[in-house]
Amino acid sequence: MSNQYLVEPDVDFIKELEALGGDTLKKCFQCATCSVACPIAPDNNPFPRKEMIAASWGLKDKLVKNEDIWLCHNCGDCTTLCPRGAKPGEVLSAVRSYAITEYATPKAFGKMVNDPKKLPILFLIPVVIFIVLGTLTGLLNFAPGGDEVAHHLFFSTWLVDLIFVPLAIAVAAIFALGVKRFLGDIHENAIQQGRTENKPIDAKAFIKSLISILPTILKHDKFNECGENKERGTSHLLVFYSFVALFVVTNIFFVVLYVFQTHGPYSQLNPVKWLANIAGIALIIGASMMISSRRRNSDQPSGYKDWYLLGLVLGLGVTGMLAEATRLADLAGLSYTIYFLHLVFVFNLFAFLPFSKLAHLVYRTIAMTYSEYTGRK
Amino acid sequence: MDKKYCVYICTGCGIGDALDIEKLTEVPDEEGISCKTHPILCSKEGVDFLKSEIADGVNTMAICACSRRVNYDVFRFEGCIVDRVNLREQVVWTHPVCEKPADEDEEFIDHLQMLAEDYIKMSMAKLEKINLPEPYKLESFSKKVLVIGGGITGISAAIDAAKAGYEVTVVEKDAILGGYAAKIRKQIPVSSPYEGLIDPIIGSKITELEAYSNITIKTETVVARIAGEPGNFTVTMKKPSEKIEFDVPFPLPEKMKVDENGKDLDAEAQYAKYQEYNEGKIDILKLDPNGEKYGAVVLAAGWRPYEIEDNSCAHLGYGEFPDVITSHQFEEIASRGKVTRPSDGKDAKSVVFIQNPGKDEDDSDFDYSGSVASMVALKQAKYVREDYDADGKAFVFYQHMRTPGLQENFYKSIQQDEGIFLTKGNVMSVSKNGAGFIVEADNTLLGEKIQVKADMVVLATGMVPVTVDDPVINLAYRQGPGFRDNDIFNGYCDSNFICFPYETQRTGIYAAGAVRRNMTIEESMEDAAGAALKAIQCIESSNRGVSVHPRSGDMTFPDFFFQRCTQCKRCTEECPFGALDDDEKGTPKPNPSRCRRCGTCMGACPERIIGFADYNIDSIGSMVKAIGVPSEDDFDEPPLRILGLVCENDAYPAMDIAGLNRLQYSADVRIIPVRCLGSVNVIWIKDALAQGMDGVFLLGCKHGDDYQCHFVKGSELASIRMKKIGDALSSLALEDERVAQFEVAIDEFDKVPTIINDFVDVVEGLGPNPFKGF
Repeated sequence: MSNQYLVEPDVDFIKELEALGGDTLKKCFQCATCSVACPIAPDNNPFPRKEMIAASWGLKDKLVKNEDIWLCHNCGDCTTLCPRGAKPGEVLSAVRSYAITEYATPKAFGKMVNDPKKLPILFLIPVVIFIVLGTLTGLLNFAPGGDEVAHHLFFSTWLVDLIFVPLAIAVAAIFALGVKRFLGDIHENAIQQGRTENKPIDAKAFIKSLISILPTILKHDKFNECGENKERGTSHLLVFYSFVALFVVTNIFFVVLYVFQTHGPYSQLNPVKWLANIAGIALIIGASMMISSRRRNSDQPSGYKDWYLLGLVLGLGVTGMLAEATRLADLAGLSYTIYFLHLVFVFNLFAFLPFSKLAHLVYRTIAMTYSEYTGRK
Repeated sequence: MDKKYCVYICTGCGIGDALDIEKLTEVPDEEGISCKTHPILCSKEGVDFLKSEIADGVNTMAICACSRRVNYDVFRFEGCIVDRVNLREQVVWTHPVCEKPADEDEEFIDHLQMLAEDYIKMSMAKLEKINLPEPYKLESFSKKVLVIGGGITGISAAIDAAKAGYEVTVVEKDAILGGYAAKIRKQIPVSSPYEGLIDPIIGSKITELEAYSNITIKTETVVARIAGEPGNFTVTMKKPSEKIEFDVPFPLPEKMKVDENGKDLDAEAQYAKYQEYNEGKIDILKLDPNGEKYGAVVLAAGWRPYEIEDNSCAHLGYGEFPDVITSHQFEEIASRGKVTRPSDGKDAKSVVFIQNPGKDEDDSDFDYSGSVASMVALKQAKYVREDYDADGKAFVFYQHMRTPGLQENFYKSIQQDEGIFLTKGNVMSVSKNGAGFIVEADNTLLGEKIQVKADMVVLATGMVPVTVDDPVINLAYRQGPGFRDNDIFNGYCDSNFICFPYETQRTGIYAAGAVRRNMTIEESMEDAAGAALKAIQCIESSNRGVSVHPRSGDMTFPDFFFQRCTQCKRCTEECPFGALDDDEKGTPKPNPSRCRRCGTCMGACPERIIGFADYNIDSIGSMVKAIGVPSEDDFDEPPLRILGLVCENDAYPAMDIAGLNRLQYSADVRIIPVRCLGSVNVIWIKDALAQGMDGVFLLGCKHGDDYQCHFVKGSELASIRMKKIGDALSSLALEDERVAQFEVAIDEFDKVPTIINDFVDVVEGLGPNPFKGF
């Protein structure tokens, strides 16, 4: 139990965190400035001071199985104020990165996503799948005809769905497995620390908690509490709602296609199309804002995991909008190439969602819900 | 010297506004001494004026202006006796101008004017009794420096003194130089960037030492005795464990100084016992004809590892488990090779370093331990990681992690190691777990009771100065071979750690390195430089016949009128610096260059035969007698007169600062600065009371274990004498309360008015001295 804890530091874990961008973690001397500075840490047992000593002692279980690392929104107040340059914000970010890999199966993908040397492979995977599957089924037409440029003539919508529908199911399954383990771990941890009662999670109450925190997420309230990098809230809001809108658009068109049997491209006058275009532009703007603010911020150096995700988001937006623009401009060859690239980006973002930094959308939501559920203050 | 007196009154700084200067000039005139005034004496014109006066033959002057503590260089004139009358800080700045009452019939007492007049009278009385000092010249003189200890401190001190051009001898008891610094695997960094461990530097230091032609190295040598005084020490050396007739004799223990009936033996009987007690040893007063001459000594004898007392660390398994060891034992293992367990020689891959033994009851360190223990733990933790790069783990549990100065960088660099784990915490127990241990700690930074698995446990024991076991210095002094009362410094060689580093309680002996406090190699080297410079200062001061410290440059020394000495030995016994040796009859033998000129002997002497050229029983006594004591013949309600004997080291400056801040206190008090409360002879107090003064107070430094006395024991001895004065007072039918002693620190100037006024109130309550007017 909590009053007799056998500490067995894991030196390899420390080294991995250091490699994931937490290379300053050993500089901490436990002054707790970070916990005081943090605008969103709870009053009792606040993060990130306790995470910092756990990190420098290599206490993997105390970090990975801990919802607090997800409550952090990485605003950087702690990193700016740290008198030792230990960068608690970056350390927590590294811990989250480690936790994502830990909870996602198969682990090999997680390792690949975090390894810049494996980047070409990540891009080659969809290319190979597209070409092999497209050639085998004949749904990929390298010499599309027609009067006007329509992407489905080149890359059949059937092929898109043949690939992405099962992919979405697989991603959901991987998440489901990860979340189950994650929730089990943080619950066990909370019981051990006496923060919650020793009984299984009450699903009803949990969902109630989820609903009660949704406004916080949707309004980005936690971001707005941050002192440093306040504008990050805006860019995150833009990207977040772009994705939400694009998700809605995709689903509408999915229904339109399969229920009403109406095939695109759709008219630019269609309000759904407006939404899609606005979302696409917002995505590009949001991603560009994030990239430029990260480039300006030397206090919080960004690592590969950050650039990988931002590159995907921006690439996704730019290729999407360009594919549409070139289509309207009747530049067939160019438009088909860009569309192909766009699908590669989409595949990367989707397929590696549980392994990349983007997985935070699930874990942070779960953690915030759990925190609400246990009444953490 | 044929004295030609003149009194000069400065009217600047408000003095002329507050006082009736014309009336003041009448005071010396009445004595037939000329008195002149000047608007600003410290100005160029003022000084030129004084110089022209000197050219006209004036050689004894009272300068009535500001405090003696300011402009001392302006008013210093070669060949002249100068006394400063403090009209500014202690008269006009601290007392209001007395307004004449409107009603002409009412009695007017001008307290301020009376105060100034008294001070001028006192100065004139003093000038009559003092003389220009002449320096004390030693018969023979050596400029050589003796360094005791051939470790890092001794070697560094020798190099520093040799660089400055002095001849040095280093004595080392072991066969080889280097001391502890030569027995370690690696060391804490000594220079920028202060990161990581470095190879021991002792080897290169020894090479550097050996290159100096003016350094003589004597290994396997110890000091048998050091006789004489600074500038003229006679040192006898010998092999360790050898017994020779010049081994230093020890003073007779107190219980052997009495006969069967508990009565004190007389001097000669005591001497006979003393010789018996020290059989085979020659008395201290006989110098070794083959001894070597030295001017000053640097004591760099170092330390030994602390030994844990039985059972005091039983909860940590010390004494029970062979793999629970001290940091010293760990260093021995590490310097031989890989870090292994003493019990079975197996790898010690997980090592716990415990800095504090006190469980949750107290957070103190091991005895004789301090910041060095913190840094050694960090260093030794790194050994574990050096030896077991892949899976070695070192845990440090501390209550205090002290890495002073730039060693913070060292801490940071060690902390950076992935396998080193640091936390504050109370270590509760060490228990057996298979071949290893489970160490349990509470209140850690990890927030809870934690347990750690260990192959070996290391306790951060301290560094004991060798002077705890042995005097080492072996001084042939009557007070004994070591430093007196060193137990209040836990055996460290010191006299006042904060104010006077390197100064021991013996002039000419300067301590450095771990014998002074626990130190790293870097600190020891710096300390060595300080002690070497002190030794040089001592040699050059003794050479000019002036005091070294703290009255640096003072040319006076105690003069004894031996015809009247009763051999009571009080001076020999009370001198805080062991400056006096007595012969078989008990007659004191002064050693002026050992002396710090505090005057404690003068205060102690019941026969009042000890004095200095410019400070003696008669000079102060005459000042006391010069104070006007108004009686009922003079006034209907005569004001009180209270004498304040004020230590000039801290209390007098505090009074001046009170003046600077315009704090006010009673004008019935007359202040006489004294060198140290230890120099206050009770005769002054008796004289003051006998002439009708109403009270006497002594104002000086704090005494006790954390004393601030510049002469170590002065204020303490004064307090003992004040307790004894009660008998004398009751024989005069006077109340004890009329005499008091107060403590004040230099920064407590704000307390000065309260101390003085409260005492005045007490005396007022007692009523006037019945002897007034007799």
